Amino acid sequence: MLIEFTLNHRPVAVEAPPDITLLTLLRDYLNLTGAKEGCSVGECGACAVIMDGRLVNSCLLLAPQVAGSEIITIEGIRGPDGGPNDLQENFIAYGAVQCGICIPGMIMAGEALLMHNPRPTRDEIRAALAGNLCRCTGYQQIVDAIEATAVQRELLP
Amino acid sequence: MTTLTYIGKPARRVDALEKVLGTAKYIADRKLPGMLHARCLRSDVPHARILRLDATPALAVPGVRAVITSDDFFEHGLYGFPVKDKYMLAHQKVRYVGEAIAAVAADTPEAALAGVRAIICELEPLPGVFDMAHALDPDAPQVGPDRPDGKHPNFLDHLIVRKGDPLPVWEQCPVKLEEHYSVSPQEHAYIEPEGVLAVPTREGGVVVYAPNQSPFINQANLAMVLDLPPQRVRVIQPPVGGSFGGKDDIIYESSAQAAKLALITGRPVRMLFSREESLIASYKRDPMRMHIWLGADSDGTLRACKFEGLMDSGAYASESPFTAWRASIHAMGAYRYDACHVDITCVYTNNGYYGAFRGFGNTEVCAAIEQAIDEMAYKLGMDPIDFRLKNCLRLGDETVHGQVLTESVSLAECLTTVRRLSDWDRKRAEYAKQHAPSGVRRGIGVAALYHGTSLGAEGQDYAGATIAIEQDNSVDITSGLTDYGTGSRTVFTLIAAEELGVRPERIHMQRPDTDTAIESGPTVASRSTMLGGNAMRIAAMNLRQTLDYAAADLLGCELHQLVRAGEAYVGPSEEPVPWEEVVRHAREMGLALSAQGRWSAPRINWDHHAGRGTPYIAYHFGAQVAEVEVDMGTGRVRVVGLWAAHDPGKVIFPQGAYGQLYGGIAQGLGYALMEQVTFVEGYIQETNFESYLIPTSVDVPEIVGTFVEAPYSHGPYGAKNIAEPAMVPTAPAILNAIYHATGRRIRDLPANLERVLLGKDLSKGGSPRACKLGLGTA
Repeated sequence: MLIEFTLNHRPVAVEAPPDITLLTLLRDYLNLTGAKEGCSVGECGACAVIMDGRLVNSCLLLAPQVAGSEIITIEGIRGPDGGPNDLQENFIAYGAVQCGICIPGMIMAGEALLMHNPRPTRDEIRAALAGNLCRCTGYQQIVDAIEATAVQRELLP
Repeated sequence: MTTLTYIGKPARRVDALEKVLGTAKYIADRKLPGMLHARCLRSDVPHARILRLDATPALAVPGVRAVITSDDFFEHGLYGFPVKDKYMLAHQKVRYVGEAIAAVAADTPEAALAGVRAIICELEPLPGVFDMAHALDPDAPQVGPDRPDGKHPNFLDHLIVRKGDPLPVWEQCPVKLEEHYSVSPQEHAYIEPEGVLAVPTREGGVVVYAPNQSPFINQANLAMVLDLPPQRVRVIQPPVGGSFGGKDDIIYESSAQAAKLALITGRPVRMLFSREESLIASYKRDPMRMHIWLGADSDGTLRACKFEGLMDSGAYASESPFTAWRASIHAMGAYRYDACHVDITCVYTNNGYYGAFRGFGNTEVCAAIEQAIDEMAYKLGMDPIDFRLKNCLRLGDETVHGQVLTESVSLAECLTTVRRLSDWDRKRAEYAKQHAPSGVRRGIGVAALYHGTSLGAEGQDYAGATIAIEQDNSVDITSGLTDYGTGSRTVFTLIAAEELGVRPERIHMQRPDTDTAIESGPTVASRSTMLGGNAMRIAAMNLRQTLDYAAADLLGCELHQLVRAGEAYVGPSEEPVPWEEVVRHAREMGLALSAQGRWSAPRINWDHHAGRGTPYIAYHFGAQVAEVEVDMGTGRVRVVGLWAAHDPGKVIFPQGAYGQLYGGIAQGLGYALMEQVTFVEGYIQETNFESYLIPTSVDVPEIVGTFVEAPYSHGPYGAKNIAEPAMVPTAPAILNAIYHATGRRIRDLPANLERVLLGKDLSKGGSPRACKLGLGTA
């Protein structure tokens, strides 16, 4: 079937079977491999993307469910020059990245949080990341990076 | 001491950019035209004889291109180190649920699964060994290989440490403790499941992209079981999505299976595990049962320690003999005793199989001994930190193994540091006044550790590195030690920058590749910074010397007259000459602009029969304090604070070192409270993250970490290790805090709700169903 939606601010139309997940659609039909498959049951958050402003696990959505919606993946998170945006830059600066497999999902979770809560407390950041498992970092530097980004964005004109 | 420019200063992880952009290509992100998809037929019984295995029906399934069994490997694919007891695909018998029996390559994953289901495999179930305590019973079913020495076939190894005879001393001690402790298996739970991509080459060899820890070991195994010369086998490590000790043997097997299928079909073959397959088939941290006797004088002087440990290796040896050795060395903790015996016995069972995991034996024994030490402090009426300070190893002490500690000993400082940071004395006094039998109670506990650096007397300890200036004046470096998320590529980059006197941005740290790097032993045992760092330092120093000659020639001066201003060289004329100019001149002089570095650790010796010697060249020391809230109505434990002081010798890459510390603590928190692997009649019950729980961002508290740097003379800039020791003391610190809060000792890990509330597990039973669903055989 033809599935039409907005992907990273651009309209897309893709022919795909109706019984695949959004994650498979992204990875195998659209060649966007930034979202990762960690568990396939919605527990780890490595496949997280933003759908109409909400963080969702793309392994739990069927591809046809995104018809007409707006999807943002890690490939759609970029600074004005096409490089890393401020949140991604802070992930680097604060040492929030180790093996990196959870990081695209973490950045999507961070962006989704900051859309709705521009100045979260550290506890609120932790609550927003609770659906994204990281086995390397102990989360602390990820929280640092999101907190720093919130402060910097608030100071922007 | 010269000032350091890059070492110990804020730095960017060299592979962070591609990871935050989502462009890093992990194994599951790599595909090639015409690539086939591979899948294994895996055993859904824990112990059986293979009566009949006919793989040919798989070939009749549309889309299936090849199928292999153990018959397709040289000597049936027998491999393993230090014990050669496992096959790349099961041969004659299966010994655990999830063991691979055959492998299929097909056009699609669906066709591969259909192919697996078409294979005719008749298994005759055999009685199994599911309790390590009965593995050595005379009538126990045989799990391990036949032994020529007359010992029980389920006996794997016995490791000892000997100083004097502790039991007579213990008998005479006025304060005695004798207790039993146990720890559960632990799953690595790397967020990236296993995978591999094998590409056949035109000359009959194979290139294998494998997220393994040690590509050279993989290469050697592949050459052996594929019967190929090693130069026809190239192993490249893509970005690895976490490992923690877990991506060795299981990836070597997948590599061999995919490589053989690629050689047969002439097409690229990729094998990816589901999470269920990962949890069922891969090895885990070994469970242990421990029996400890401690004796002390009434003034709090520790006198005697006897430690008996039983370690389950599961169906195969994997690394367990080495794990058991490291466990034996550290079992008594970082303390002085008049007499000490350690005995660790390692046995085969049919409960999956167990191998390397961060801490490697020390995590297991530390969970027990640091609780026992705490219990002794209470018996003596002493503060737990005071008791540890009174008995802990200090500079100049002789360990129970007979090793005199001559440098880089910092445990007392680590203990006093966490005491201060955590506000220990005030909280101990305040929480001791809580009387409420219900509601929420607070407690605070401590644990200390030491952890031998690198391999120690386990094996030959060496590493190599290369460095070369390219035509565009960038610098390429390689190491035979790999980075599976640890940050070692950044450590090596900073060391090369420091020694060569160039900016880190100029340096490109290549990905591990057996074609370009120097074999450096396994990437294990937190050895990268010390071993690989020393090798890189030597390589860069050698190249630096070449450039110094060129600079002196260019500037018309003596070597000793050269100084550096940033990257530039300055001679007596005081006119700086850009580094590029010096490199250009070196090329004109015909000098080689590349170098190698090799470093071997000082030789040490351990006498396995006497249980004495020098096990490691140096030790990491550390201490952690945990603060908990325990809900006395539900048994729920929340860790509300964690303070850690660790001595890695010298911090090279601060963000990386703190990341190791925080991440290790999170894994230790999971080990203490929630991570439980349950085998019921050989079937693992936890097959995905909804049942195997690991800490989330709300389970881990804000951590206050600090480094006490006691430089080690043989380490690069004094550096020792950090990765493993970070997690080792966390679990006992939390358990000791639970005791402080509740007065309840949880001597069996993890301290789940039932154990905290009732002091025992509620029987939940179990079934093979989750395994059969996960393996696709239900």
